[in-house]
Order: sequence, then structure tokens, then C-alpha cells
Amino acid sequence: MNLAVAEAQGCALKAKDFSSGAHPIWCPGCGDFGVLAALERALALLGRPPHEVVLVSGIGCSSRLPGYMNCYGFHGVHGRALATATGLKLARPDLEVIALGGDGDGFSIGGNHFIHTCRRNVDMLYIVMDNRVYGMTKGQPSPTTESDWDSELIPGGSRLPPFNPVAMAVTAGATFVARGYSGDPQGLAELIVAGSKWPGFAFVEVLSPCVTFRPEEFEWKRKVRHDGVLVENDRGAAVSAALSDDGFSLGILFRGKGPRVDHQPPTTTLAAIEEQFLLPSPDMA
Amino acid sequence: MGRTSLSVVFAGSGGSGAMTAGQLFLQAAAAAGYYGIMTQLFGAQVRGGESAALVQVSTEPVESPPDRYELFVAIDWEKIDQFAPEIPLDDGSIVICDPAAGQVPAAIAKSKARVLTVSFDDPAVTRLERALRGRRANVCAAALVATLIGLPSRHLDSALIKLLGKKSAEVFEANKRALKYGAQLAKTLPVTLALDDAAPGERWFISGNRAAALGALRGGVRFVGCYPITPATDLVEWLAPHIRELGGNLVLAEDELAAINMVLGASYGGIPAMTVTAGPGLSLMTEAIGLGVAAEIPAVIIDVMRAGPSTGIASKTEQSDLNIAIYGSHGDAPRIVLAPTSIGDCAYTTEWAVGLAETIQTPVLVLSDQAMGQASGAIPAPTRRPSPGKRRTETKAGEPFKRYAIGSDPNTPMPRPGTEGCEWVAEGLTHNEAGLPVSAAAAHAAQINKRAKKLAQIDPGADWGECWGDGDTAIITFGSGVAPAREAAIRRNKAGQATRVIALRLLSPLPRKALRDALEGTRRVVVLEQNHTGQLLQYLRANDAVPASTESMARPGPLPFRPAEILSRLIEERA
Ligand SMILES: Cc1ncc(C[n+]2csc(CCOP(=O)(O)OP(=O)(O)O)c2C)c(N)n1
Ligand code: SF4
Repeated sequence: MNLAVAEAQGCALKAKDFSSGAHPIWCPGCGDFGVLAALERALALLGRPPHEVVLVSGIGCSSRLPGYMNCYGFHGVHGRALATATGLKLARPDLEVIALGGDGDGFSIGGNHFIHTCRRNVDMLYIVMDNRVYGMTKGQPSPTTESDWDSELIPGGSRLPPFNPVAMAVTAGATFVARGYSGDPQGLAELIVAGSKWPGFAFVEVLSPCVTFRPEEFEWKRKVRHDGVLVENDRGAAVSAALSDDGFSLGILFRGKGPRVDHQPPTTTLAAIEEQFLLPSPDMA
Repeated sequence: MGRTSLSVVFAGSGGSGAMTAGQLFLQAAAAAGYYGIMTQLFGAQVRGGESAALVQVSTEPVESPPDRYELFVAIDWEKIDQFAPEIPLDDGSIVICDPAAGQVPAAIAKSKARVLTVSFDDPAVTRLERALRGRRANVCAAALVATLIGLPSRHLDSALIKLLGKKSAEVFEANKRALKYGAQLAKTLPVTLALDDAAPGERWFISGNRAAALGALRGGVRFVGCYPITPATDLVEWLAPHIRELGGNLVLAEDELAAINMVLGASYGGIPAMTVTAGPGLSLMTEAIGLGVAAEIPAVIIDVMRAGPSTGIASKTEQSDLNIAIYGSHGDAPRIVLAPTSIGDCAYTTEWAVGLAETIQTPVLVLSDQAMGQASGAIPAPTRRPSPGKRRTETKAGEPFKRYAIGSDPNTPMPRPGTEGCEWVAEGLTHNEAGLPVSAAAAHAAQINKRAKKLAQIDPGADWGECWGDGDTAIITFGSGVAPAREAAIRRNKAGQATRVIALRLLSPLPRKALRDALEGTRRVVVLEQNHTGQLLQYLRANDAVPASTESMARPGPLPFRPAEILSRLIEERA
């Protein structure tokens, strides 16, 4: 559904219903404000009331987001948001579960979970606010940082090839992959709605500038393009598009097939299970 | 009057079926009404290598390892040197072997055990048949020992069906023939080992690991996140189909970091959740255990201890994870640590762990160990159950909800997500009452005190542990130390040296008052534990919970404590 249309139709929930009113600790101008705004809008559009939504995050500037919204939340340890969210969604399939965090949280310390969550295809959304830097620890290169980016810790740059989140997600088996930009909350909200509705694991990489440690990322507003091409099912083609892209094309980039996670109702009782342990008395045997 | 128990080892190379022999014998004895347990000893090979089944059967419940094995049945002698030093035999033992397998190796012969020979190959079976249908020396050996203790053949038949299934009629017939031949062999041997009738009583056939899994299900666990690790894997392998049949989930995580964080997520969702691991996995989980403490999320963590540090000895027992269980995590992160006191008690203790985790809203560790977890057999049915625990979820209308409110009850309600008007964030950062991150000293102190108070308020009642006897010598121990300590105490009591055994089920927070009462009237206290540093004694000392004169009886694994070792150390230490 087009956002403008939906808003005009007058959805029952408003973006502000999802705001906790707490004042973010973020630096003025931080891209994460745009993600917060987009998420509030998207949730209002989705129509699930705040008490049925859970935001799960790790540690970092971006991972502070759950505290700023009016819904359930889990602010866990660094890098493990996807694991926590997976446990929650499997235990409570009735909830709308959204995991979120930074590029360090998701691709570095949590990289293994990223791969396996893509494979598992549990029905939830993952938003990575990618600022290509560790913001909270004040400016060290992350897995997505350009190889020549100069920092105090690694003068001259890491010389390591940057991690390509979209290509990695597709390779690992993700079934919905998109890229958004925090400076375009409207477009981002649409991606979040589409990802939330997707019946499986949906990954949205959000270019979200760190104005403090990467001021040059202001330029992203000139670099981003709404020309992302959607590849359906063909993982090879999607990976090759992701690898040849400059990382600034926005939109849904891949949709494909993955395993279904089913929830089985009980088929027996504990008493029946316990029976296997009871030894018959010898005269009966 | 005949004998009341028999300890027997079935040993052989990979493919000899020594384990099957042990199981067949034990199941037949169980079917006949006896009690018994079996533990397994493996060589170095990952799969199919040499192994020994260590079995005890008895007219009464039995759990302590014996001082020495009375019977050693060699299905063959290959690679016996690998574990001969770990199987105690002496001149009172009997070795049964087939001369066709070669001479009795020196490692066994030096015990001066009496050697009896048989041929495991039934002369009525042709070579061709043997080549086609296998030797079945293991089935024959099981029948031989079963007949020696006087088991009627029908119990062997039923055990055979239970263990091997009906498979093809031909295989079944070949096995039945081997059983028959084994029974005939027994009659040719110049020994009688007939057991008296078993004491009646309701019995279960179960392992410590399965009992723990059952306890978790009884407690209401319906989510498990885990990563394979010996010797904990068989627990989750049993649990997986059953938790699913009950509508729950068991997820094979990508690692232990994921496993414990999945558990916290599921538990936050309102579903009692558990993970199962051993030392290396527990090391990886410590950060998230601290999160569970700080964010006040219930979780059960079973650690089936094995020899450490590092990868240590994966398949053998030790009790050296006590320190990490009690203290492992940065910051002040007090948590609950329990230890089962017997195989059957694994069910009770784990069920209690779930109840405690839910009521106190914090991680609870259960310290089992390989010796207890992987021992299986016919035990008294664990019928006693702990009183159930439940997490507080109630809410008051009209008041703004504060998840981490400071008030008279430190166990504050944690409504399930989905509850309208209580939207709260589980927070691992130092937080205020509403759950918002803050760094102020006052809030930090208030929340640390809140969490400490939750633990301080636990009243374990009679669940704190067990105390047997009232002698003036006391052995304090836990886990798989309990059974041999009790056996040692029984013998000392018979000899007029009154000895009591105190088993701690609640290790943390330490039940100081109950322990003080249990120690009332003692003149000598020793702490029995299977680790090098004396972790339990250090902990008891730090808590000022034992007299200054308390002696340490600590040694590392992986060999089990045997009653005679405990008795001789009680004499030595005094000297
Ligand atoms: C186990 C652990 N290691 C290191 C840290 C320190 N730390 C906190 S946030 C962070 C990186 C944050 O970067 P990112 O995930 O990209 O988020 P951002 O702050 O840029 O939004 C690190 C390394 C930690 N909290 N826990
Ligand atoms: S340091 Fe960077 S990422 Fe963190 S709040 Fe400031 S601008 Fe945002």
C-alpha cells in the first residue's frame, strides 16, 4: 500500500502512538532519527497495536532505539539481537518481532548470527542502521567501512575489503533483502512495512549517517538512488547485482524462497511421555 | 542367603558390541525386578572404538561406583590397555574370556583376578553362518552373566526385543540362539553368583540427563536453545522430540552465544526456557547470563560438567565448573546455582530450577556432571516433586507500569509482551525503575540491591539439600560425589565411626542456616569434591559456613570417587 494513500485513508493508529517521548541520546543530525521516524510511521501503517510489537536490539548508538518507542523491547548484549529475536519469535509467533542495531553489532560481533538467521528464515524483520563505523565507541572502522578510511586506531585505513551486507544476506539464504536511507523516512517506512509483512526473514539495510565520526556521510543524500532492481528467486543474479552496485541503490533488491517455520500444536501429554520410564513390576513382565 | 549385588564389566574393541552386552544384561536384570546402573568408558576413537560397559545390579537401589569390579567379561582384548588402568580389579575378581582372543593381557593379569575361559563361538553354529550373521559374542556374554546371577531366560528375551527390535526374523533367531548358548556356558563355569530376590518398589529406567530433561518439562520448559556438546548432547537428543510433542520448540543454535540469547528472548516472551551445555559452552554464555541477571529474565542453564579447563576431556567427568557457575560474569551478578543429589534427583532439581527461575526472574544454573548425567539404569521412581514456581505477571490498572520498581517485594511483575498498557523494555544497561538506561549512582545501587534482595529472600525450606545420619564426622559434597560418600558413610557407621553426609542441592545463594543446622554436633568436617583447587571448600570458607578445621578432600576427575578411596582418605587426613 502506498503510504500517502494509507495516511489519507486515515489509519486507526498514528506514528505518535509509537513514540515513548524519551529524548534520544543521539547527536543532533544522526541518521538514526530518520529511522526512528520511519519505524513509527511504518508501525502505525501496519496496524498492530504497540503492545503486540517487540523491538529487539544489541548495543550501540542505533541499538538504543527501543527505549525511544512505545512498544515492548529487549535491549540485550552486543551482537546478539538476532538470536534473542529468534527465540522470542519462535516462542511467541503471535507477536510482531523486529530486530535492529548497527553494522558493528550485526556484521562484526554478530556476524555469525546474521548468516544463520538468514538461513533460518524465521518470520521477523531485521533493520541494520549502517553508518560504516562504530559510533558508540567513538569512531573505529566497522566491517562495512571503506578500506582506506583513516581513523585513530588504524591510520591510513584497515585495507580490508568492506563486507557487502546485501550480497551476504542473499548468499546466506535470506528471502527478503532491501536497502533504505534514513534521509528518506517515507521510502524507508514503505520498505519496513513490506519487510514486516513478508512471511519470513526480511533484512533491510539502512544507510544511516554518523554525522559525528563520518561527517562526509552527509554526502549520501546526493549519492542514494531510487533505482534498486528487484531480483526474484535468482540468487546468483542478485549477488552479482549486489557486488557490482556501489551500495547506494535503494529499494527491495531480492525476494526468494526459503524454509517455512511451522508451529506444531501439542500431540501428547507429559504423563504419556513419563510412562516410558516406568519399569513394569517383575511378576507382570 | 545369596549375594545382594554384582558389579560387572563388559569390554571389547569397536564393533564387539560391549555396550549392547551391558545394556542387554542390565535391562534383563531390571525386568526381573533388580536395581542397577551402567556407565560407559570410551577409548579415544570418535565412534565405534573400543569401549567398556560398567554395570552394577543389586537387590537394593545402587548408585555409588564399586571399589572394584567382581566380574570382567572380555569380548575381546583389543586395545584393552587404553582403559585397563581405569577399571579396578583385584584378586577377588573373576575374568571371563575366550582363549581364542589370545592371552590375558598383563594390564589385567596383574590384578591376580581368577581367570575362567569359555568359547563364545557356539560349536553348533557353522563358520558360514557365523560369517553371515555375525559372531554375537556380546549377546552370548550378556546371557552368560545373566544366567550366573540366576535370571530366568524370559527377561533376556524381552530385553532383546526392547533393545534390538524385532529386525528380521533371521537376525532375531540368531540372537536368541546366542542367548541360549550363553546360558549354557554359564552352567559350565565353576562359580555361582546368584542374587537374592530384589526389594519390591516402583522403579524407573532412566539416565541422569533424561531425568533432568524430564524435570525441565515438568517445570514447564517449552523452549530450548542449544548447541551440541559432550556430555550434554544426549539430554537434548531425548528432549527434542518430546518438547515438540508438547507444542514447544527446541532450536539447534549456531553456537552457545546464540543458544543462551535465544533462551532469554523466548523467556522474555513468557515461555519458560532452558539451555543445556558443558564447560566450554558455559564459558561462552557468561556475558548473557549477566544480562539475564541485570534484565531479570528467567532462564535455566544445565551444565553437564566434564573435565576442563579448555576442551579438557570431553567424555569424562569432573566437578570443576563450580567457580564459573557461581561467579562467572563481569560485575556483581549473583545467580542461583543448584546441583542434583542423585540420578533421580536430576528430575527434582531441574524442575525446582525452573520454578525458581520463574519466581525469582533470574538465571538458574544446574550443575550436573558426566558421571551422573550419562549413568542410566533402574532406580527408585522419582515421585517427589518440588512445589511449582510461577513468575509474577499481574498488572495494576491506572498506574504507569514500572518493570523495575523499587518496593517491598523485589520480584516485580513482568507482564508478557501482548499485555496492553505495560510496554516495557528488558534492559541490560543500568536502568531506572521504568527500565530506561541511566548512569546515576543511586539508580545503580537501587537496582543492585533489588536483585540481591531477590536472592536473599529465597527460603529453600527442605529443598536446600539432604543430610543423612548424625555422626560427628560430616562429609559435605554435591552431585556425583554424593553416592560414593553415602556408601562410605554406611560402611563407617557399621564400623562404629558415625558419619553423616551433607549434600548441597542449593549451592548459591548458600543456605547458610540450613548448613549450620546440618553441621550441628560435628567434630570433623571434610569437603569432598572433584576438582584440583577445592572450589567448594573455598566457597564455603568465603561464606564463613564451615569450621576453620574443615579438611579438603578434593582431587580432579575424571575418575569417579570410590567408597574405599573416601574411607582411606578419611583415615590418612586424620593421621
Ligand atoms: C562484548 C562487547 N564488546 C564491545 C563492546 C563495546 N561496544 C559498544 S557499542 C560497540 C560498537 C557499536 O557499533 P555499531 O554496532 O556499528 O553501532 P553504532 O554505535 O554505530 O550505531 C562496541 C564495540 C560491548 N558493549 N560489548
Ligand atoms: S556517534 Fe554517530 S551514530 Fe552515534 S549518535 Fe552520534 S551521530 Fe549517531
